[in-house]
Amino acid sequence: MIAAGARLYRPLTVADAVEVLADGDAELLAGGTDLVPALRTGRRRPRRIVALRRVLELRSRGAGADTLIIGAGVTYHDLVGWSLSPGLAATARVVGSPQIRNAGTVGGALGTANPRGDLLTFLTAVDAEVVLRGVHGMRTVPVGSFLDAGASPTELVTAVRLPRPCGPQLYLKVGSRQAASATVVSCALVVDRVRERVNCAISGVAGRPMRPLAAEEFVRDQVDWSTATLSADAVIRFGELVTEAAGIAVDPLPDDLLVSAAYRGHAAGVLAARAAGRCLSGPVRSRDASTASVTATPSTAPVVSAPDGRLRV
Amino acid sequence: MSTDASGETGIGDTGIDDTPISADVDPRVSYHLYLDGAVREVADVCFSESLLGVLRDHLGVMSVKDACEQGRCGSCSVLMDGRLVASCTVLAADAADAQVTTVAGLGSGGPARAVRAAFLAYGAVQCGFCTPGFVVAVTDLLARRPDADEDEIREALAGNICRCTGYGRIIAAIRSVQDARR
Ligand SMILES: Cc1cc2nc3c(=O)[nH]c(=O)nc-3n(C[C@H](O)[C@H](O)[C@H](O)COP(=O)(O)OP(=O)(O)OC[C@H]3O[C@@H](n4cnc5c(N)ncnc54)[C@H](O)[C@@H]3O)c2cc1C
Repeated sequence: MIAAGARLYRPLTVADAVEVLADGDAELLAGGTDLVPALRTGRRRPRRIVALRRVLELRSRGAGADTLIIGAGVTYHDLVGWSLSPGLAATARVVGSPQIRNAGTVGGALGTANPRGDLLTFLTAVDAEVVLRGVHGMRTVPVGSFLDAGASPTELVTAVRLPRPCGPQLYLKVGSRQAASATVVSCALVVDRVRERVNCAISGVAGRPMRPLAAEEFVRDQVDWSTATLSADAVIRFGELVTEAAGIAVDPLPDDLLVSAAYRGHAAGVLAARAAGRCLSGPVRSRDASTASVTATPSTAPVVSAPDGRLRV
Repeated sequence: MSTDASGETGIGDTGIDDTPISADVDPRVSYHLYLDGAVREVADVCFSESLLGVLRDHLGVMSVKDACEQGRCGSCSVLMDGRLVASCTVLAADAADAQVTTVAGLGSGGPARAVRAAFLAYGAVQCGFCTPGFVVAVTDLLARRPDADEDEIREALAGNICRCTGYGRIIAAIRSVQDARR
C-alpha cells in the first residue's frame, strides 16, 4: 500500500513485523487508541510505524486443557463476549466506551503498560504470561516481569497466556466517567476452587498492579473450601489487609489533584472486600449480584458501575 | 496513553508539543480510502495524520466533527469495517483498505433516516455538533441490538458526549424508532 522507503509498514505476518522492528526506531501501532492521539499532540514522534492491523495471526484466541491464549490483536470487544473467561469479559466490559473497546487491543494495553490498565490488573491477578517475539525467536515472561522491564523496542507481544478459570472471578473499579478517563482504583479477584487459592490484584496504588500477598494468604486459610464460602468477618478483615498492603506498596503512586493515596488505599480495600463477599458467598445465590454497582466512598471520584463476572461452579 | 514518572496517565494530557514537524520526521504519503462506498484519493498528507484529520482537512467531510482528538467525545465517530470507532484514534494511512462509513454513508432511507427524523422530532438536536456522531452510533446500535433496553442504550452511547440535551431527548428519540418498528 505504501511505497518502499516510506515510514509506515503494514506487514501481513509477525515475522515481517519483527524484521522491521529489528532495524530500530520503529513503533508498533495496533488499535491506535493510545498512539494516534499521542502522534497528534506530538507527545510521540516515531520515525517509523509498524501497523499490525493486517496481521491476522495476532487476532486468534483459543483454549488448551488448562490455559487460555489470547492474541495481541484481540480487542476488548472480542473479550467482552468470551464465555471461556468471565473475569476477562467483565474486565474488558468496563474499559472505555464502545469506540475504545472496538479498537483497543490486548497488545496495545501491554505496550502502553499503564499502571492502572484494567486488563493488566486482571492479568496480574491470574499470573498471566506474556509471549514475546523478536528476530531471535520467542520467549515467555510472567506479566509482572514484563511490566517491570518495560516493553523492548525490538520485540512485539504476540499473545498472553492465562490459566482457565476454576471458580468465580470478579473485576471492580472506581473512577470518573469510564468512557473518557482512566481507572482510579481497581481490584481483580480470582478464586481457584481446584487449587484452593484466592488471587487478588489492585491497581491505582503502585507503579503497576500489585498483589496483596498476605491478604491472599489470609483468605485462603479462612475459606471453607467445601462450599467456597467466607465468613462476613473474614470478608471485612480481607479488605483491611488489602488497604494495609496498599499502604506499604514499594513504589506508591503519590497524591494527585483528584485523589489522595490514602483514599486509593481505602477504596482498594472496599473493592477487594466487596469482590470477596460476592465471589465467596457460597454456591447458591440469587441473581441480585448480576449487576454490581460500586458505591461512592467519601471522595471526589464519582461512581462507576461494574458488571459481575461471577462464574457459577 | 503514555505514563510519566509520577504514574499519571496521558489521558487528560492536552499539552501540545509545538516543535515544528519536519518533512523528514513526518513525510508525506498518498493512498486511497474507501469512503461511504466510493474510492477517494488522498494525496500528499502527513503519514501520522489521523483519519479524522484526513476526512475533514483533505476530503472536506465536515459531518465528522473535530472536538477532543483524544477518543473521548465521540463527535468524530465513524464505522470502520462495520465497527464503531473514534476516527481521531485511527491512523488514516492504516485505514487504506478498510470501509469507512460516515453519517452520509448510512443511506438516505431505512434505519438511518428513521433515526435522523426521530432526532429532529424529539428535540434530540440542539446545537447539533454531536449529532452526526450520535446518528452513526445509534444506527449501529439499532442494527446490532434492535430491542436494546434503556440501560443498554445508555451503555452503547457512553462514548458520545452531548452537552445540550442531557441525553433524555436522545433516549426518547431512540425509543420512538424502536416503537415504530415493533
Ligand atoms: C477515551 C479513552 C478511554 C480509555 N479507557 C480505558 C479504560 O477504561 N481502561 C483501560 O485500561 N484503558 C483505557 N484506555 C486506554 C487504551 O484504550 C488501552 O491502553 C488500549 O488497550 C491500547 O490498545 P491499542 O491497540 O489501541 O494500542 P495502540 O494505541 O495502537 O498502541 C499503544 C502502545 O502499545 C504498543 N503496542 C501495540 N501493539 C503492541 C504489541 N503487539 N506488542 C508490543 N507493543 C505493542 C504501541 O507501540 C504503543 O506504544 C482508554 C483510552 C482512551 C483514548
